[in-house]
Amino acid sequence: MLHLTVDSTQQAPEPKPRAFFAGASIVWTRQRILWAIFVVNLLVAFAGASGVAHNVGDDSGAALNHSMESVQRLVHGFDVSALAELSSLPQQPLRGMGTMSIWPSLFFLVFMIFMTGGILVSYYDDLRLDTAGFFEACGRHFWRYVRLAIYFLVVMIPLAFLGSAFGKIYGNINDTAVSPYPAVIFGAAATVFMLFLLLSVRLWFDMAQVISMAKNERRMYRMLARAAALVWNNFGSLFWLYLRISVIGWVLFGAGLYSWMMVLRPESIGLAFLLGQAMVIVWLGTRLWQRAAETEWYKQYRVSLYQPVPMPPPPVQPAVVETLTPS
Amino acid sequence: MRLRTLLATMVLGVLCAGTALGAVGAAKPQKPAKKQAAAQNPATASNGSNALSTRVVAYQIQATLLPREHKINASEVLTYKNLTGQPLETFPFHLYLNAFQPQSTFMTEVRLYGTRGNGPGSSWDSKHYGSETVTKLEVDGMGDLTKQIHFIHPDDNNTQDRTVFQVALPNPVAPGASVTFRMDFVDVMPEVVERTGYMRDFYMVGQWFPKVGVWWQGQWNCHQFHATTEFFADFGTFDVKLTVPSDEVVGAAGDLVSSVNNPDSTKTLTYHAADIHDFSWTASPHFTDVEDSWTGSAGTVKIHLLMSPGDMATAPRYLQALKGTLAYYDKNVGPYPYDRITVVDPPHGALNAGGMEYPTLITAGTNWWMPKGLRVPEVVVVHEFGHQYWYGMVATNEFEDAWMDEGINSYEEVKIMRALYGKGTSMLDFPFAQMGDGEEQRTSYLSMPNFDPLTRFAWQFVNDGSYGAVTYGKTATVLLTLEKIIGPDKMREAMHQYFLRYRFTHPTGQDFLKTVEDVSGKDLDGYFQQAVYGTQVLDYQITDVHSDRVNWWEPPIPGQTMYRTYVTVHRNGDFVLPVDLKVTFDNGNSVVEHWDGKDRWIRYTYDRKARVASAEIDPQHNVWLDRNFFNNSWRVRSDDRATHKLLNIWTFVNEWISQVAAWIA
Repeated sequence: MLHLTVDSTQQAPEPKPRAFFAGASIVWTRQRILWAIFVVNLLVAFAGASGVAHNVGDDSGAALNHSMESVQRLVHGFDVSALAELSSLPQQPLRGMGTMSIWPSLFFLVFMIFMTGGILVSYYDDLRLDTAGFFEACGRHFWRYVRLAIYFLVVMIPLAFLGSAFGKIYGNINDTAVSPYPAVIFGAAATVFMLFLLLSVRLWFDMAQVISMAKNERRMYRMLARAAALVWNNFGSLFWLYLRISVIGWVLFGAGLYSWMMVLRPESIGLAFLLGQAMVIVWLGTRLWQRAAETEWYKQYRVSLYQPVPMPPPPVQPAVVETLTPS
Repeated sequence: MRLRTLLATMVLGVLCAGTALGAVGAAKPQKPAKKQAAAQNPATASNGSNALSTRVVAYQIQATLLPREHKINASEVLTYKNLTGQPLETFPFHLYLNAFQPQSTFMTEVRLYGTRGNGPGSSWDSKHYGSETVTKLEVDGMGDLTKQIHFIHPDDNNTQDRTVFQVALPNPVAPGASVTFRMDFVDVMPEVVERTGYMRDFYMVGQWFPKVGVWWQGQWNCHQFHATTEFFADFGTFDVKLTVPSDEVVGAAGDLVSSVNNPDSTKTLTYHAADIHDFSWTASPHFTDVEDSWTGSAGTVKIHLLMSPGDMATAPRYLQALKGTLAYYDKNVGPYPYDRITVVDPPHGALNAGGMEYPTLITAGTNWWMPKGLRVPEVVVVHEFGHQYWYGMVATNEFEDAWMDEGINSYEEVKIMRALYGKGTSMLDFPFAQMGDGEEQRTSYLSMPNFDPLTRFAWQFVNDGSYGAVTYGKTATVLLTLEKIIGPDKMREAMHQYFLRYRFTHPTGQDFLKTVEDVSGKDLDGYFQQAVYGTQVLDYQITDVHSDRVNWWEPPIPGQTMYRTYVTVHRNGDFVLPVDLKVTFDNGNSVVEHWDGKDRWIRYTYDRKARVASAEIDPQHNVWLDRNFFNNSWRVRSDDRATHKLLNIWTFVNEWISQVAAWIA
């Protein structure tokens, strides 16, 4: 059981409204981190996708690059049956689409665990770390963040059970209600609640990472307990901080997706690529913004803890009036 | 000749039916309710000059729905006219609901290869079990024959299957005579499965009464119910009394004759239908009956949309699709002779009852969130209404010739969907993704193109996937290609003639193919042998396109150098079909070749002062059966836009999945 009254995790003496904007500013001023992660994300994803592209484009595969049919069906529009046709061909040009996504994802997960130490140190110390310093910070925190990730997955288990229970309740309502809407409303409410829980847990573990970095704490339980207490005692301000950034990320992502699907002409392949990558950058940026904002929040919080307590003014001494008596 | 024979048979049947059933109706005035039914006996109708079919059967059914137990208690009086020309001693009957028992042939096949919405190894909950039990069987003049009932298994050796029973009569029924069966039976309805059953207080009641087999091609045709089969029955009349809770909104295959409220909070609805071969009904207290009408060459058709809660937004889409389909069939195939059509919108959770056809009653399917660009409600209505023609009136044997109802209907469905919603957008119509119904049928065929021919008995396909791919997708694709071979006008005329010749009969596959040949004036046997009776796959491929200088040892001179162009076409598959080849040169000139396709490959050579730019097999896209459209053409100059588009999308998806995974970090 977590003890929620650890001394150093008491409610922040003052709200820290500037963390929201300060976080954005940190991400902007340390944007090399964002670009580095984006490039790795792109390269790894591209590596996973290029095999399939080679299969469909190459002469030994579906030879789309020389087929007049491909332009008609896949450039001037997007005929979904073309994909079905490709997948049914004996040479199976779309084989491996699924597995080619799994390995890049796992690699990127490990990469991000590795990068987190450097990111947090850079954000927390407000330092423009050189490459060696950055990766030194990455390596220093790597294993403790691996352990945290494992704990995170453990915490996800009850949430998965909860999600499953919601699913069963949804099914029961769907089976018994005459109208589909009670189940839909329940499903929407359950989804919002699950998102709330997931965001809260992520907030908790993000805070644990920040504390670990700031206090060089290696003990998992202590780290998690402190983070839990801190988040618990300041949940409103921290959750609002995360939620706002998440909403901004989702709105921008949704707007990008809408533009891609509904506004761009099917032939605008280059523009679609740029738009898609802009969406990826926004998505990455908002996640880093959350990390930076929380780091900034914690930094301000710690500063507030060590502010000198205002001392009462010393008692006023009666003035000594020396009178010079003329001799 | 065939048409005159048909008409003569119809007249003879009508006269025999009138005499026989009239006598039965007069001889058995037992209870007031039955008197009323007898007064509306189909014998009366079949004496009239407006009978459309040879009415072999006349069913009088009284049924009471027991909603708390999900049961139906019923009695049935079946009068069967022996028009077989020979005495009949045994009669087989279907008890379809017994398929929903663990040891049935149906369930065995579901466990083997799955069926609609249920994969192989499905372990159905007991709430999906159903049964149909005949508790009493009497034959007029022959006494109680309940003990004579024994189950038969004409398709397999499954002695546990109880979907067909046979009864031997002590005295044979003479040719031209009639026999009357009186049965009491109890249905236990399953929670909705395979098009029938209940969901909460919704009931879709199909294949629910003991139904006699069909004397066809000199013998009884009464197959067990299989995972992939549908139905086959004789035409006749139905007089059905349904007693249901008084708050139920009921839709049924017949015209409502009367509605009487009973003192026990129930009501009894009486329906009459003629010239159909099945009777189904549905009930729910939550239906909203959206009424409309459509007028065609045969008169006005009353439309009932029975809409479920949450689905009302789809009603206009159903109506548009239904009216468009009625108009298409009326113009291109033949008149719709019935005065009604009911479309049942199953409630949420009951989609297994959706997408099914019964005479004058079809079930559709939608969802509360269905976007307009996703034309599932439309295509279901177009398809299921099409069965009023291909199954309803042209009553082919769905057990043995499933392609003739599902496949021919799928072809017409493609034509209608194209006409109503656009060729390439009739199934999916979004700015970011499109798909036509014809393309959907073709890709369905491509999923399993070479396991089974169209003519395979429905339960003998290698699995459920092949049944669907071939019966629906391949047939539609075969007919789309056939349309290009004989021309769209000839094809339309062939469908029209086929309908006129065989409506209200049970034609075979050969009847259909012969009609197409008659109308087109072409010998299509070579095509039919491969496309209909065979499993050959059609795939032509351009394997080589290049130009070389004729005097290759001399330096090229722009506009003056003579090039030799080679184009090689390979027949990958075993299916032989003549095709066109269009070769285009870089000066804009082109040439079209016609190849009979008999050899495995052919090489065309051209000497011109231009190099080849592209070559394309079947440039008009006539051959829908070709399994790979992408290898039908070759452009010398590479165009990688399609590949880049796919690469772009898949890279983005990978990036996004990676970021979701990294959320753990």
